[in-house]
Amino acid sequence: MSDGLVKILDGNTFVVSDSRGDIEASRTDPTGLFSYDTRFLSRWVLTVNGERLSPLSVDDLQYFETRFFLVPGTGTVYVDAKLSVIRQRAVSSGFHEELTILNHADKPVTLTVRVDAGCDFADLFEVKDALRKKGRYTSKVERRKLTLGYERGPFERATAITATAPAQFDSEGLTFTVKVKAHGEWTTEIAVVTEHIGSGQSPLEHGNPKRVQARMRRNLERWLAEAPRVVCDWNPLAATYRKSLVDLAALRFSPPIAGGRALPAAGLPWFMTMFGRDSIFTSLQSLPFTPELAATTLRALGDWQGVRIDDFRDEDPGRILHEMRYGEMTAFEERPHSPYYGSVDATPLYVVLLDEYERWTGDRALVRELEIEARAALNWIDEYADLQGTGYVWYRRRNEESGLENQCWKDSWDSISFRGGSLPGFPRATCELQGYAFDAKVRGARLARDIWKDAALAEKLEADAAELKRRFNRDYWVEDGEYFALALDQEGRQVDSLTSNNGHLLWSGIVDKTKAKAVARQLLGPRLFSGWGVRTLAAGEGRYNPIGYHTGTVWPFDNSFVAWGLRRYGFKDEAAEIAAGILDAAEFFDGRLPEAFGGYPREQTKYPVQYPTACSPQAWSTGTPLLLLRTMLGLEPHGEHLVVDPALPRGIGHLELLDIPGRWGRIDAFGRGRVETGRGRARR
Amino acid sequence: MAKPRCDPTAQFFAKLAERSDEPLLRKAKGSMRFDVVDGRRTRRWLVTVDGGELAVSSSNAAASCVARVDKAIFDRVATGRLNVVAAVLRGDVAVEGDWRLLVRMQRLFPSPPRPRRRASG
Repeated sequence: MSDGLVKILDGNTFVVSDSRGDIEASRTDPTGLFSYDTRFLSRWVLTVNGERLSPLSVDDLQYFETRFFLVPGTGTVYVDAKLSVIRQRAVSSGFHEELTILNHADKPVTLTVRVDAGCDFADLFEVKDALRKKGRYTSKVERRKLTLGYERGPFERATAITATAPAQFDSEGLTFTVKVKAHGEWTTEIAVVTEHIGSGQSPLEHGNPKRVQARMRRNLERWLAEAPRVVCDWNPLAATYRKSLVDLAALRFSPPIAGGRALPAAGLPWFMTMFGRDSIFTSLQSLPFTPELAATTLRALGDWQGVRIDDFRDEDPGRILHEMRYGEMTAFEERPHSPYYGSVDATPLYVVLLDEYERWTGDRALVRELEIEARAALNWIDEYADLQGTGYVWYRRRNEESGLENQCWKDSWDSISFRGGSLPGFPRATCELQGYAFDAKVRGARLARDIWKDAALAEKLEADAAELKRRFNRDYWVEDGEYFALALDQEGRQVDSLTSNNGHLLWSGIVDKTKAKAVARQLLGPRLFSGWGVRTLAAGEGRYNPIGYHTGTVWPFDNSFVAWGLRRYGFKDEAAEIAAGILDAAEFFDGRLPEAFGGYPREQTKYPVQYPTACSPQAWSTGTPLLLLRTMLGLEPHGEHLVVDPALPRGIGHLELLDIPGRWGRIDAFGRGRVETGRGRARR
Repeated sequence: MAKPRCDPTAQFFAKLAERSDEPLLRKAKGSMRFDVVDGRRTRRWLVTVDGGELAVSSSNAAASCVARVDKAIFDRVATGRLNVVAAVLRGDVAVEGDWRLLVRMQRLFPSPPRPRRRASG
């Protein structure tokens, strides 16, 4: 992996180690064994006769298991390997490690095999922000077990370490004294189990590790078998598609309340949890491939829909959550994530996903089941989001201490700026929020009329949507630039920089037809389009920086929605252009698109420069190739049918997407690349 | 402001018993028992819900979800001063059984007091 770290995971339990399998975490370093947002091991170091080992190779068997081939010694010259060590590790309620030592010599050896173990029980937030612990540590040494613990009042977490072979346990690890015959081998299994004490029965079920792994293997095979198949002349696309499916499988997360069903978590390692926005966007991207993710997302987010006015959590009735966490800081209300509601897009997008889900699957029952939630979400838009009484969706955090300043997808502190670079005051009404609200009303009207049989609500929503569209095209249109402003500030002034948000506006349908062409021209113009994709912020704006998190980098997920938006307004070639750029970039990342990459012009760097601390795999980046496939093939449900209207980049050649699930059963789609792509760079 | 001695936990369940139809729980079905420990005494409330219909009784009957909690903690939850999900994560509330029911039931607890909107005292 690009950062030299090896990651395996199951849901929100994951292990990040170096390429030897060792963990030596510092307070701010995201390595270790993590579960439910708590680090359960921060030190795990293997030595043989006091010597560290060197990696020969690492086999990523599956996303939940890996195998390290090691030899003693850490010299840079050849190691005279009379011994090899195999460490096979799988995640399951902690992790399970099978340690095997092979003696290649023709005489027996006696070895001291030592595993150092330690834990700081850091909350993920503490790792991110380098904070100090408030509780006390314990360790309990038994004849066959070491338990490392942490207590803060009633809050207790523990890590239990056991082994099948006889070992000597002490408070800092375990030691095996091992005799290995000539050409013989020795093996032991070590189990590291996470324990959540004090909260009654843990929602995290512990199973037999071997059985759990067998189940996970079968589950992954079934997941891959049930997804549509890609056949393509251009091999990298098939490889990227497969990587996306496997990563999406890895990112599935079953919250304790979802009855074993899974929704997409946001990303590894920081974001293995339920996020309103990320889970919804990823579900939208993957709808034509794995529609069950959308169903679980809708149900789980509905279960946690806000009901109270709670300033600490930025909660209102009807609001869809932003982020759920289970760690110590959340437990002690030092962070508001139980859950935190500080996003303003998740709520309208919830309605958008519900409608899109029904259009694909025909699952009217779910739309009826979630009628109360969807109505509450629509009500929230008018009742709680219009902070200025101007008919727009605004945000301003009520939790000034630990709430989010920017509650849209570009949520870093400096993401919303004027052309000159200055930052607007609060509240802010970013443009894409108005698009999502418009789309939620239009789609909500369809659901109300067709499924809830409430014609009055449908008419009201349609009238509101039309009025919103009219005002929006007047108030947000930047006359001298021919695009939509990024936001309105608290005085109603246009925050006038040029951004990728314009593409989301096309996707939402809020853009007047007469303005669409100018918007498309901007998106593909040299200030926004880098040759790989559309930049978050246009070159030439005050805060533009090609490696600024939301101020110039290219986000694959963003581009997938921009491409969908272009398609929606009939700009097929432009959508294909973006798809080609992003899929070309994917090839450079071995099929796994990062969260973001640099906004440098393509002809300048020749390869996409990965954003330094981007999180990977990340769900909505993983979903990007799926949505691009949909966009390029022009897949669109129409009544009981699926319309296929391909516009593929020429380089892709022939493309087949087979067994697309939906209300039509299963359908195949075919296309052939005809669109010349390659603006802003030399043609291949 | 001097107030007569009150029992927020008992008041919470008494008020809950008056709410016969609860739209927030329209999809929940099952029973949840709250075992509230007050020194050596434990008071139990059984909340049964079926399609939004709520019934509250003092009962030791088996339930699909049981929460065990100290009265001092539950008094704060019942008045919105402590978030019940945080209390569960912290270990202040021990939960056994159907977690989904707990997620439903947490909707019944009131909003936290908003100091900005309240007169002091």
